[in-house]
Amino acid sequence: MTAALRATVAIVGAGASGAAVAWRLARAGIDVLCLEQGGWLDQARSPSRGHGWERALQTRFHPDPNIRRAKEDYPVAAEDTPIQPAAFNGVGGGTLRWGAHFPRLRPSDFRVRSLDGVADDWPVSYDELERWYDLNDEMTGVAGLAGDPGNPPRLAPRDPPLPLGEGGRRLASGFDALGWHWWPSDAAILTRPRPGRAPCNNCGPCGVGCVRGARASNDNTYWPAAIAAGARLVTGARVTRLATAEAGRRIGAIEFVDATGERRRVESEFVVLAANGMGTPRLLLASADAHHPRGLANGSGLVGRRLMHHPTAIVTGVFDARLDGHKGPFACALYSQEFYETDAARGCVRGVQLQMLRGSGPVATALGGYMRRIGWGRGHHREFARQFARTATLTVTAEDLPEEANRVTLDPVRVDAAGVPAPRLSYRLGVNSRRLLDFGIARASEALRAAGAVDVVVNPLSRQAGFHFLGTARMGEDPSSSVVGPDGRCHEVANLAIADGSVFVTSGAVNPTPTIQALALRMADAIAARLGREG
Amino acid sequence: MSPDMALMDAVLGTLLPGEGAWPSAGDLGLAAEVGAELGEDGAALLAALPAGFASLDADAREEALRAIEAARPAAFERLVAAAYTAYYVDARVRRVVEQETGYEDRPPQPLGYELEPFDEALLERQRARQPFWRRP
Repeated sequence: MTAALRATVAIVGAGASGAAVAWRLARAGIDVLCLEQGGWLDQARSPSRGHGWERALQTRFHPDPNIRRAKEDYPVAAEDTPIQPAAFNGVGGGTLRWGAHFPRLRPSDFRVRSLDGVADDWPVSYDELERWYDLNDEMTGVAGLAGDPGNPPRLAPRDPPLPLGEGGRRLASGFDALGWHWWPSDAAILTRPRPGRAPCNNCGPCGVGCVRGARASNDNTYWPAAIAAGARLVTGARVTRLATAEAGRRIGAIEFVDATGERRRVESEFVVLAANGMGTPRLLLASADAHHPRGLANGSGLVGRRLMHHPTAIVTGVFDARLDGHKGPFACALYSQEFYETDAARGCVRGVQLQMLRGSGPVATALGGYMRRIGWGRGHHREFARQFARTATLTVTAEDLPEEANRVTLDPVRVDAAGVPAPRLSYRLGVNSRRLLDFGIARASEALRAAGAVDVVVNPLSRQAGFHFLGTARMGEDPSSSVVGPDGRCHEVANLAIADGSVFVTSGAVNPTPTIQALALRMADAIAARLGREG
Repeated sequence: MSPDMALMDAVLGTLLPGEGAWPSAGDLGLAAEVGAELGEDGAALLAALPAGFASLDADAREEALRAIEAARPAAFERLVAAAYTAYYVDARVRRVVEQETGYEDRPPQPLGYELEPFDEALLERQRARQPFWRRP
């Protein structure tokens, strides 16, 4: 067997959190090695240069790994959930495929138990996390605008906001007419140049990669800086198991299969899991041994449990004029947090965010992208002409509460290319989440009507919205009710930490990546301090 | 052209018939592409068609396809998705999309679209609002 690779800190996963940790540790002079099952995506050759970009969204850029079935993917058993998985593997992870909407959690999101009597408080506050949010914004390159009355004051984003377009202007006027909040999106998309990255040229389909490097993905933000600082990255490396040492108290080695199919090991002083809220519990459970019979770090029994998504409803308005929604980043225009906080009168707790999506291309319009598929046969073309370029959409993102029955386990039959059991998702939409979605659908419909929509079409639960996997190795002070401590280190395995969305205590109702990365940077500084280096 | 290709063209022409400037999907030579996308499902759907399908009138062809859609919804949905995709990425159809809707007949890149400045005057009402985020 080839000799083991060695590093001071080994990271599993080169996505949003792994990239941030790698950069922060390498910058502190720590020898870092990251294993990534995918490879580099050549975004300069994005399908957006050809008419086939919409076909690419349904094939090699499809968000669902069970449909995409790329060699770097692993199968996901998803029969027992109404929300199908969306995950992308490669250097940059999900940020290669994302829409780059980049909001922060609110301070109240960290104090759910204290404020609303549900779920649990986080062992970290917004104020404590703020400086890492700021650092992450600086590394990422964020367009937006300070002064949102719905969120705490913060440093002004580096770049001015993206334009709203005609659809956004109409929606803004609708929110204004109702006296409701809206604000231009925080977007991880440049509107001004930066070394090595050109500003956005408003082309639209961010999901097939950005030829200009305007849309941040961690292969064009953290990774170049991490590698320049000395971090090593091994692509095509499929991790199969974490092997313990010292009677289970430490990780002795990471076992993986390399791009040639050879089984290899990494030995390190410290291990960081950054494989997302589905992949991380999968690895912990698949690494069960005599010292950890229920899975690594799983004395609490919570590894894989409390799975939270962001259940999403989609509400689309059809207007009687061209909105040209194909112009502009599809997911970043404006949001409303008018209904973000708990209001007991709604009959449920916590809240929703309404986020604008712009229009769809011709294929997606015909296939019903945000609406219903346009019928076939005579009349198809009339209906296409009625809808195409004339729609604006609001997604309703609900805060999902943690429930132990919603979980990631190991499938007893299916395995990946290296023989590791596939994750199995078992998830039911909670009553509170359903009520939040229904409330949000009604408000989004009102907003669209106020904006001038002549027709409103509702998808009450988007099937392909499993893009956030949160809470499956939650953080907390008490080892009996949490998997990792406030600094991300596992209670039961001294040299193992978790950097991804698994550690979320609650989900908030906004896209989680800025919070995941801020927590990852904070955790990296804690590791650096333990290793005697400054973060 | 093989009988299967001719039959698939008839199916495509029923799903997306010509109308005004819009060409019929059956006249664009998409049958092989759609058939390849569907694999065995495609052959099974064609085998389920009534005899003489291609020579039926439009009402009868639609009725036949609706019967298959009801009997084999999953496979039929794949057929529709493959047909719509092949149709709307076709250069000839893209030209009609531009003509009929103004959507430019070109890929998103490299030209993109103008990145107009954000108009902060739109925020006048929002800026007048007091902070309403909840302090823990």
